[in-house]
Amino acid sequence: MFNKLKEAFGLGSKKNVILAPVEGEVCPLSEVSDPTFATGILGKGVAIRPNRGRVVAPANGVVTIMFDTKHAVTITTDTGAEILIHIGLDTVNLKGEHFKSYVKADDRVKAGDLLVEFDIPKIKEAGYEVITPVVICNSDNFPELQTITGKAVKELDEIINI
Amino acid sequence: MREIKYVIKDEMGIHARPAGLLIKEAGKFTCTINIKKDTKEVDAKRIIGVMGLGVKQGEEITVIFNGPDEEEAAKTVAEFLKSNL
Repeated sequence: MFNKLKEAFGLGSKKNVILAPVEGEVCPLSEVSDPTFATGILGKGVAIRPNRGRVVAPANGVVTIMFDTKHAVTITTDTGAEILIHIGLDTVNLKGEHFKSYVKADDRVKAGDLLVEFDIPKIKEAGYEVITPVVICNSDNFPELQTITGKAVKELDEIINI
Repeated sequence: MREIKYVIKDEMGIHARPAGLLIKEAGKFTCTINIKKDTKEVDAKRIIGVMGLGVKQGEEITVIFNGPDEEEAAKTVAEFLKSNL
């Protein structure tokens, strides 16, 4: 009965939704100029052209990796999706500069918790693209994965259904 | 079983791109391929595991192959490491 009610309100079916970790323009992964992302080697997903330098948790889960360089973070969601959020391209070379992290590996997070802040103008000034791939690394486990692209999103708008 | 050791030369260590390329190579083989750093051992065919090792420049990894095509896998991965990491 309770489950039926939850479903009726769309709550039951929402548990496998990945929300936008960054505010910006969502585009297909294939538009990313780095082939590692564009060809889906790292998994299926989307890319966001950010217009705000904040990354929040895209679902409830646990931080699995916070890179020392803070340019990338992975979350394993409570539903088993392994999400990589990679801020910018080749930004590993910045060695943490212009990034600030708010969580560490093994931290439990709720959708919307702040993970990383990054300085868009400074990163661009340093010569790097800020486009941010959001990839489900174990997307093979989710054959029905669907992405929602070609639109502007705020933090926590839906971007991927798994 | 085959085992190779390699010291990472890439200044940035095993970050997202080389990790992605490495799992793509590993995925071509049916044998199991594990990567070990210190006491932590992960499946070389799983991106999160490989990135999660956080291997840095100057650190040594051991790659362990187990299965029918382990010889060829070891050769391919050794070459990959040499030219990419």
